[in-house]
Amino acid sequence: MAISSETRLVGRLNASWPVEHLRNHGVHLVVVLALVAYPGFYHLLTNSPVSAEAVAILPRMPTMIALLYFGLFAMSFDFISGYTGYLSFGHAAFYGTGAYFVILVANGKAPLLPAGTPFMVSLLLGGILAALLALAIGLVSFRLSGVYFAMITLGFSQVMYVFIRGWDYVASNPRDGPTVGSTHSEGFEIGVPYVDQLNLAIGSFSGEEVELFGHTLGTYTTSFYMVGLVVLVSYFALQRIVHSPFGRVMVAIRDNEERAEAVGYNTLVYKLGAFVISGFFGGIAGGLFAGYARSVTPENTFYFLTAGDALLASIIGGFGTLAGPLYGHLFDETIREFLSNAGLGGGLLPYLRQRLGEGVLGTEIFGGLTVEGFITAALNGHAALYVGLVFVLFVLYLPNGILGTLRQWLGGPVSKRVPELLRGLR
Amino acid sequence: MIPADIVALAGVESTLPVLQSGTSFLDGLGQFLSPEALVSVFVEGLAKSAIYVMIAAGLSLIFGLMGVLNFAHGTLTMIGAYLAGIVMVVLVGGATGQWGRVLAFFGALAVVFVLVGGFGGLVEVGLIRKLYDRPPIAQILLTFGVALVLEELARIIVLFYGLQPTSEWQEALGTKPAVLATRHSLGPLSIRGLALFEILLGFLTVVGIWAFLTRTRYGLFIRAGSEDAEMAEALGIDVRRVFTVVFALGAGIAGMAGAVLMWDQIWGANVPLAAETLLPAFVVVIIGGLGTFRGTVVGAIVVGMVDAVTTWWFVNVVTWTWLPDVAVFLVLVGMLILRPQGLYGVEEVGGH
Repeated sequence: MAISSETRLVGRLNASWPVEHLRNHGVHLVVVLALVAYPGFYHLLTNSPVSAEAVAILPRMPTMIALLYFGLFAMSFDFISGYTGYLSFGHAAFYGTGAYFVILVANGKAPLLPAGTPFMVSLLLGGILAALLALAIGLVSFRLSGVYFAMITLGFSQVMYVFIRGWDYVASNPRDGPTVGSTHSEGFEIGVPYVDQLNLAIGSFSGEEVELFGHTLGTYTTSFYMVGLVVLVSYFALQRIVHSPFGRVMVAIRDNEERAEAVGYNTLVYKLGAFVISGFFGGIAGGLFAGYARSVTPENTFYFLTAGDALLASIIGGFGTLAGPLYGHLFDETIREFLSNAGLGGGLLPYLRQRLGEGVLGTEIFGGLTVEGFITAALNGHAALYVGLVFVLFVLYLPNGILGTLRQWLGGPVSKRVPELLRGLR
Repeated sequence: MIPADIVALAGVESTLPVLQSGTSFLDGLGQFLSPEALVSVFVEGLAKSAIYVMIAAGLSLIFGLMGVLNFAHGTLTMIGAYLAGIVMVVLVGGATGQWGRVLAFFGALAVVFVLVGGFGGLVEVGLIRKLYDRPPIAQILLTFGVALVLEELARIIVLFYGLQPTSEWQEALGTKPAVLATRHSLGPLSIRGLALFEILLGFLTVVGIWAFLTRTRYGLFIRAGSEDAEMAEALGIDVRRVFTVVFALGAGIAGMAGAVLMWDQIWGANVPLAAETLLPAFVVVIIGGLGTFRGTVVGAIVVGMVDAVTTWWFVNVVTWTWLPDVAVFLVLVGMLILRPQGLYGVEEVGGH
């Protein structure tokens, strides 16, 4: 054991820094490449002999785009909740702030900002606004801990939810939420602001199509890559912070706040800092959502169950692991789509309808309930049932989530242990 | 928390002429300070407090003893509302007299208490018990998952029987006897019959739980367990069994609250009732202080009164639909800032 770690150390010292860097980020590279390849992979498989199965099982492109921006939101939630141990149950407030801000700017309703403000600028400002909100909420809330902290943040976010739902300045019908109007009919562009060549618009209808090596990338694929770019940059920023001395103090606070204080850290500053960073990226995630979807509702932004979904993703993916929530949300979304999507092209229900013959579908199970009636009742729009069951099973049997369990099993962070194990095989 | 059609149902509107929006603040204040308005707001406030105390009492008991913040609490209330609705619809026909209906309602209360309480006991034994040696967050998460599953199951069943999950179950509302559906005049006042009934039930709930906690041997065990579970165990109390009983009891009370809400037009039996009752229940329990029953009662009165006063203002003076809901949560935020442990809370409970 001692010898092997020594040779590893020598090997490390000999390698030049780019190689070393690549080695540290090898797993990241694999994941990013897999995501980059996904649209092509999906396109290939859905046009192959197994297309029916591929359509049923693989998440559709819109789902994958949602995976990216909501994954970022779940990461920002996990950044504060999983790393410092302060459950931010009102995290939806930051997501909603970013989302509403982007749409208000596009509709010319934000003070001092014209409707034509580039998306990248309004996205960043939305993030900063969310960060300021986090600062204000944090200053009050970090006097509390445990259940009380979760409840006061929940209280703040519910105040904002109810308020935004009744404020007719944001939309003509605030209960249904705002939609991007005619003042910004073109798509929201991600790239370098004010340089037209370095921008690509996102959105299912308003996005751009791109010609690349003789292939046309549709609006979904373009949106997927552009949203993915922002999420990737955000992820590396968060990852950098988690592995910095600042991140170490966050973990120290989670493990034993009194001890961290006794060692000499001003824990309030660290908690506030972490909360502000987390709020900023929560706002960015909300802004990406609004930029892609172009219309938001109070329910899918400020409502406390939006933070609940981030909690689901974090627990399933691995609480206190930064990338975990992304995988958790992928798992979550795949289940939702597979078991409850009706006729939109994906999921088990259309597949079964297509594959099972009339004879089977018409068969009575009992009391007038046919097979078709049963699968329609069970597989149409009841995703929460299955997600809830999976969630309960995770809490009971895999409390560390996907990534946490993998870590435990490998004996260290996946990005470190997998290359080491591979080297051991050689 | 409060549907849009509250304007028509708020119960105070017919005691006073509804003013046009744009009424000046001072006029509104003058209206509000008239004796009739004050008394009717007070009675409405008591009725709301009664509802809040019934919703929150079970949550408070469970948290006080076990430290589990039960996210499935609202879901149990929702299930209670539907169960009571089923009992009422089956028992009550068009010919059933007024007092027969009230009698049937008490029967429904008993059925709901037994069924929902029994179910709560099963959840404790089957699921939550496995997690006592884990950090407290695991139990919160578990109840959150259970709430998701139960809510969706309820939605499936309700849809299967051709009802709309998101709107109140009208047939169950229709079993309300006329004596409760109409207004009664007491001197110069006119008061909703149901408000008086709710106040009565809330009072009985509080007295019942208080008597159980302070006058029975089992209540003694519960209070001892809340104070110091290890010490209670060392003295020979089977704390695990007490946990099960308290969880079942809390669930049963949540179910009974649902039965009452089934008759109330502002709430009614519907699936979103779960989230609509869970949040105010949290607010009430936190304002009163986690783990004290006395605090929960006072918290419910505070929230009920704030709700009634702001509802009056929104109905009669201002047009801000969000006012009552925002006010309730602002009370929570304000309380947590000024006195984090709640009105009667002990510092140590809940992670201080």
